[in-house]
Amino acid sequence: MSSRFFEFFCPVKVIAGKAALEHLPWEMQGLSVKRPMIVTDKGIHQAGLLEPVLAACREGGVQIAAIFDDVPPDSSTSVVREIATLYRDKHCDAIIALGGGSAIDTGKAANILVSMGGDDLEQYSGAGILKHPLRPFFVIPTTAGTGSEVTSVAVISDEQRGVKLPFTSSFLLPDAAIIDPRMTLTLPPHITAATAMDALTHATEAFIGLAKNPLSDAYATAAIQKIGQWLLPVMNDPKNEEGRLELALASTMAGIAFSNSMVGLVHALGHATGAKCHLPHGVCMSLYLPYALEYNLEYIREPLGELLLHLEGPERYAQTPTEQRAESCIAAIRALRDQLHQRCGLPRTLEETGQVEFSQLEAIAQLALDDGAILFSPQEVSFEDAHALVCRAWS
Amino acid sequence: MEIRPFQTLTLRARRFYVGAMFQVMGRALQAMTEVDGEACRETRQLPPGFLFEMRVLPSGPVMVVEHTKDGRLRFLGTDAPRPINLSIQFKHMVHAFRVVSFQEKTAIAFANERMLVDGDIAYAVRMTRVLNRLETFILPRFLAVRAVKQYPRSLGFVEKTAGAARIYLRVLRNLIGNERPYE
Repeated sequence: MSSRFFEFFCPVKVIAGKAALEHLPWEMQGLSVKRPMIVTDKGIHQAGLLEPVLAACREGGVQIAAIFDDVPPDSSTSVVREIATLYRDKHCDAIIALGGGSAIDTGKAANILVSMGGDDLEQYSGAGILKHPLRPFFVIPTTAGTGSEVTSVAVISDEQRGVKLPFTSSFLLPDAAIIDPRMTLTLPPHITAATAMDALTHATEAFIGLAKNPLSDAYATAAIQKIGQWLLPVMNDPKNEEGRLELALASTMAGIAFSNSMVGLVHALGHATGAKCHLPHGVCMSLYLPYALEYNLEYIREPLGELLLHLEGPERYAQTPTEQRAESCIAAIRALRDQLHQRCGLPRTLEETGQVEFSQLEAIAQLALDDGAILFSPQEVSFEDAHALVCRAWS
Repeated sequence: MEIRPFQTLTLRARRFYVGAMFQVMGRALQAMTEVDGEACRETRQLPPGFLFEMRVLPSGPVMVVEHTKDGRLRFLGTDAPRPINLSIQFKHMVHAFRVVSFQEKTAIAFANERMLVDGDIAYAVRMTRVLNRLETFILPRFLAVRAVKQYPRSLGFVEKTAGAARIYLRVLRNLIGNERPYE
């Protein structure tokens, strides 16, 4: 399975651990930032997560020049334009994205406009359009799942044309990602579970996909080990600061892994289900992960068997015969999903979500076939295969 | 350092081979959408007038095809009459050579970032499926298994042979300038 050729790239400075937030002023001063702007959403503001950031900056001698706290869950070009206008009006010189995937993607897109000029975001959509570095950009993730703080991609909706605009460039990567356990400490249980399953899927698909490589493998296995070790303890004790940090680190490591080896069938199906039924991305990942692994089983038996070591530990791995390790790994993922269902009601089937109609399954399968991630599935996927798979995930 | 004559010859031969394969593939794509219902179902989802190209960077061979209507593709040669909608670009001649000489599967070439996609990813995935189907038809099975991820179980010997014969006949007719693209 290992590729004889690969590319690996991750220049993001990761600042992680206790009091990591307090490193932000120093990092900004190092880039001559004097008037940063914070881009976040109302939920973050109401959860009180903005306060520690403001306090850290104030005490560190950096004045926040503007705060935009109205990023919607599915951000749009008009929101990005609004942020760019505020940035220019307040004479800002850097962006700090504080939040989950939407706030981070919005921060990346706003940084394109304020760095490149103009208000037409669409002209910068696509791969490799940006030709020079952007303004200083910092990310403080408040969920442990997306890995957006280390990916060179952003997706923004163009509400007028009804399409999603993708942006891909290494210049979108932040100058630093701040991983502070305080930022995920108040994450509700169902979001903790769904985002951790998102990170688990990133790492798993990075490890079994066609573009896997030795460096992304190292990040993927480390991420899986952390999730296997810490997800249930954190679900049992949400204020477990050490566990929260480990899950946040796992998310970042899984992000580094998949941004260098891509994702696969789970994401193709998950993107299609999210688009058709508006299910949260992490829930979709959790729903499809075991089924997509079963579908690819004969093509990924060896790496999947190896994942049992990282997910369940050396004792279970050693006790399991080699030829049964891949199946045992899938069984372990199913057991983890059962545990999460017990603790927070995270759905295990499409039917359990209550948001998907059986009649939508054909459309989901059809849409998944056109998703770019499907190219990296080890086994070829036809419409009939995809439809059979979503039917298995139904109930 | 000076390039030796043998190396120059190799470079030229590689460029010629990739260019020739693009010519054959372009015509074969056109022919396949005339004879194969499944390929036609895939391409029918493309907008009429949609232009697709494969190109070797920085200035290598080019192949342009157009979706006319009803799933039919037309090979336009190397020049596009208007801006391209979807471009698949090989980063280097060697990368293109590895793919069109079946040393590297198309999916693996994508995974290895040998190619760039400029345009809608959904259409790129669709065109990749069409190219894979073309390769399973026109190549002998032992070569086709090297070009695609999995050789389709549903494609029987008779269907493959008959399809390949019809495609090659149309490619030949097109090459000698007696094509009847929309019969």
